[in-house]
Amino acid sequence: MEIVVQSSVGQYSKPFYSLARNRIMASVPITRVAAMDRRREGISQLTSHSFFPAIRRIRAMHRSITSSPTGDTVSFATPEVGVSNTETREWAMQDFYTLRKDVETVLERVQEIRAAAGLKQLQEDLAALEAAAADSSLWDDRAKAQETLQALTDCKDKLKLLCDFKTQADDAETIIKLTEEMDSIDSVFLQEAFGIIKELNKALDRFELTQLLSGPYDKEGAVITITAGAGGTDAQDWADMLLRMYVRWAEKQRYKTKVVEKSVGEEAGIKSATVEIDGRYAYGYLSGEKGTHRIVRQSPFNSKGLRQTSFTGIEVMPLLPEDSTNVEIPEEDLDISFTRAGGKGGQNVNKVETAVRITHIPTGVAVRCTEERSQLANKIKALSRLKAKLLVIAEEQRASEIKQIRGDTVKAEWGQQIRNYVFHPYKLVKDVRTAYETSDITSVMDGELDPFIKAYLKHKYSLAANPSGFT
Amino acid sequence: MRLSFIRPISCCSVSSPATSLKLQKPLFLRPPTFKTTISDLKKWHLWAKSLTSSVGSTFLELDNGPDSELLLRELNWLVEDAIQTPKSFLQQPQKNYNDNSSVSIRASLEELYMLWKQRVEERRPFQYVVGCEHWRDLVLSVQEGVLIPRPETELIVDLVDDAIKENEELREGLWADLGTGSGALAIGIARILGSSGRVVATDLSPVATAVASYNVQRYELEEKVHVKQGSWFEPLRDDEGQFVGLVSNPPYIPSKDIGGLQAEVGRHEPRLALDGGASGKNDLIHLCDGAVSMLKPGGFFAFETNGDEQSKFLVHYIETKKQGNFSKVKMVPDFAGIKRFITGFRGR
Repeated sequence: MEIVVQSSVGQYSKPFYSLARNRIMASVPITRVAAMDRRREGISQLTSHSFFPAIRRIRAMHRSITSSPTGDTVSFATPEVGVSNTETREWAMQDFYTLRKDVETVLERVQEIRAAAGLKQLQEDLAALEAAAADSSLWDDRAKAQETLQALTDCKDKLKLLCDFKTQADDAETIIKLTEEMDSIDSVFLQEAFGIIKELNKALDRFELTQLLSGPYDKEGAVITITAGAGGTDAQDWADMLLRMYVRWAEKQRYKTKVVEKSVGEEAGIKSATVEIDGRYAYGYLSGEKGTHRIVRQSPFNSKGLRQTSFTGIEVMPLLPEDSTNVEIPEEDLDISFTRAGGKGGQNVNKVETAVRITHIPTGVAVRCTEERSQLANKIKALSRLKAKLLVIAEEQRASEIKQIRGDTVKAEWGQQIRNYVFHPYKLVKDVRTAYETSDITSVMDGELDPFIKAYLKHKYSLAANPSGFT
Repeated sequence: MRLSFIRPISCCSVSSPATSLKLQKPLFLRPPTFKTTISDLKKWHLWAKSLTSSVGSTFLELDNGPDSELLLRELNWLVEDAIQTPKSFLQQPQKNYNDNSSVSIRASLEELYMLWKQRVEERRPFQYVVGCEHWRDLVLSVQEGVLIPRPETELIVDLVDDAIKENEELREGLWADLGTGSGALAIGIARILGSSGRVVATDLSPVATAVASYNVQRYELEEKVHVKQGSWFEPLRDDEGQFVGLVSNPPYIPSKDIGGLQAEVGRHEPRLALDGGASGKNDLIHLCDGAVSMLKPGGFFAFETNGDEQSKFLVHYIETKKQGNFSKVKMVPDFAGIKRFITGFRGR
C-alpha cells in the first residue's frame, strides 16, 4: 500500500474526494490497521453512537480492510472526511495530555450540571406533563393547553440537551481511551475530540446562562425605549449611539429587530426611539440594561472640544403578545392624554398627531406610543405596553398584584445609573453594579455586550441567592 | 355599429353622478409596478428630509400647521405606502448610497418628488397625498372633495358602542350617518352592529358618496351600509321614525373662521364639509330638529360640535325648544378635554 501525499501545487487539479483520500490515508499508519483489527470487538460496542463521524470512519476502514485484503483504498474516500479535517494539525503527545485533561474537566462539568439541573425531578415533570397533554380535557381551556404543551416542549428540550451533553462528553472520553490503547497518535481523531470539547463547552456556557434566566418573562422578546437625557445635541447623539449598539447586539444574536418609533433630534441624533427585539430570551438578556447610561467624551458638537458628560435612559420591557397581558387596570387609574391638545381641534385642525400617552396614576408609570397612524391603534398599543411594564415592576418588587406596587420606589429604580462609557481622557466601559470593565470601547459600541450581560446576570443570581449582598 | 344605439339606453339607468367621477386609488393599494434603484430612492428620501427640515416651525407659527417633526413622521408613512418593502429601506444603514439594486414602488419616482413638493410647498394634506387616512382600525380612502376624518371623531364609535351595550336592541336596528364624507362613521358603526343592524349614510356631495361607497366595498359592508346622496334627512324620508340611532359630524366652523384655518384645511378641504354658517350651528340645529321625528323611542344620537360653546348652546336648545322629546342629553369631552360631542336618547 503506497501512499502519495502530493505537494500543494499539483493538488489543485485533483478532485476533492481524492485529496481527502490521500489525507486520511496519510494519517492511518499501516501498523494501526492491525491494532484496529485486534480491537474489533471493542469498537463494535460503540455502535450506539452512530452520529459520531470518527467512530463511523473507523468502522468503515475496518470493513474495507477486512473485505479487501489487498488494501484497495477506494472505499476510504468518504467526502465527509475531507470536510471535517480541514483544520488538521500536527498533534504531539503534549497536546494529547492537554486534551485528556480537558476531557476530564468537561466530564466533571457535565456531571455537575446534570446533578444541578435535577434530572430525576425533570423526568418526573415530563411524565406528569405528558399525562396532562394526553388528557382528553386538555383543550377545554385553550390558553392552559398551550401553556402545558409549551412546558412539555421545554422540558423535553432540556432533557434532550442534558442527554446530548452526556453523549458528547462520553464520545470525547472514548476517543481518549482508544488513543491510549493504540500505539500512535491520530490527528484526525484527536481533532474530532478537540472539536467536541470546544463545542460542548460553548453549549454548557449557554446552558448555564439560560439557567440564570428563569424569570417569568425572560423567555420573551424585548422592547427597548431609549430616551436622550437633558443636554441637547450631545445627549441626543449619545442616544443614537446606544440605539445602534443595541441593534448591532440583537443582530449578532440573530434576533429580529424593528425600530418602531424614532424621534430625530434637531441637529443630530435622536430624542427617543423604541426598538422591538423579537427572539427567545431577548428580555432575559436585556432586562439588566435598564437604567441610565453615562458617556464622558470630548464633545464633537462643541468647537472647543470640551469634555462633556451626557446621559441616556434605557427602559426594557418584555414584548408580550397583546392577549397575554390579561391584567385589568381600573379605568379611573389611567390618565390618557393625546398630543392633540390646545387650539380648537376637530375640523379646525388636520395634523397627524395620533400620539397617546397613558399614565398609571397610582404608580406614576407612563408610556407613550406614537408609531401607529391612528389614535385608537396607539391607545391599544400603549395600554399593552403599560401593562407589560407594570407586570415587570410588580415582579421586581415581588408584588403579587399591580395594586401592591410601591409607586415611590419605581422612579428611583428605573433611573439608576448603571454604566459609564468613558471615551476621553482614557477609554473604559465600566458597569457600576458588577464592576465589570473593558477598555475596548469600540467593540462594546459595536454590540459586544455579552460579557456585561453575563456579569450582570451572575451578579443578580448571586444577589438573589444571598440577599444581604455579601457573596 | 348597432350596439352603439343600445348603449345610451342601458347607461341611462345608472344616472348617479358618481359614475362621472374619477376615484383615486390610495397609494398603498396601487400595484408596485414602478422600478427604481435604492440609491435613487435614497436621493429622493434625502431631498425630502432636507426640504422638510427647512420648514422648522414656520407653519406652526403661521397658522398652527405641522412642524418639521410631524412632517418627518408623515414622510416615513409616505415611504411605508409607496415602497413594496418599506421596512428594509427605512432601516438600512445610511451609507448605502451607491446601492444600485432595484426596488419596486407604487408611484414613479417623479411622482414621489411631486407629491412631497405638494405636501410641503402647497400644504396639500398628507392624507390626500397618499390617498388614505388611518382612522380607528380602518384605512379609509380619501381624496380632494372629501373631509379627512379626524381623530376626535373616532370617539363617536365608542359612544355608540357604549349605548349599544346599555341597550342591546340598538344593535339590530337601523342607524343613520348624516354627512358621511369618507364613510368613516358609517363603517365604524356597521362593524359593531349585529347581523340585522343596518346603516344609511347620506351626503350631499357626489364625491363623498362615491368615496364612501368605495370604502364600504373595501370593507365588504355593502349588505350593511347603504350610501345615499342628498341633503341631511331628505334621502331618509321613507324610514322616518324607524331609526334607532343617528350620528353626524356636520360642518360646524363659523364662516368667519374659515379664512384663518390651517392651510391644509382651509385651502384644500371641502368648504361644504366645514362651513356651518354664521354661527357654525346651522346644520347642527337642523339635525337636532330632525332627530325628533327620525328616531324611534329610546333611539340614540351623537353629534360632533365645534366645542364648549356650541355644545352648551345645543344642550340648552334641546332642553328648552325640544322639551320632553329627549332624555339623558349631555356633553362629552374629547381627548383634549373640549366638550366636543352632544349625546342623548329619544324619550319613550
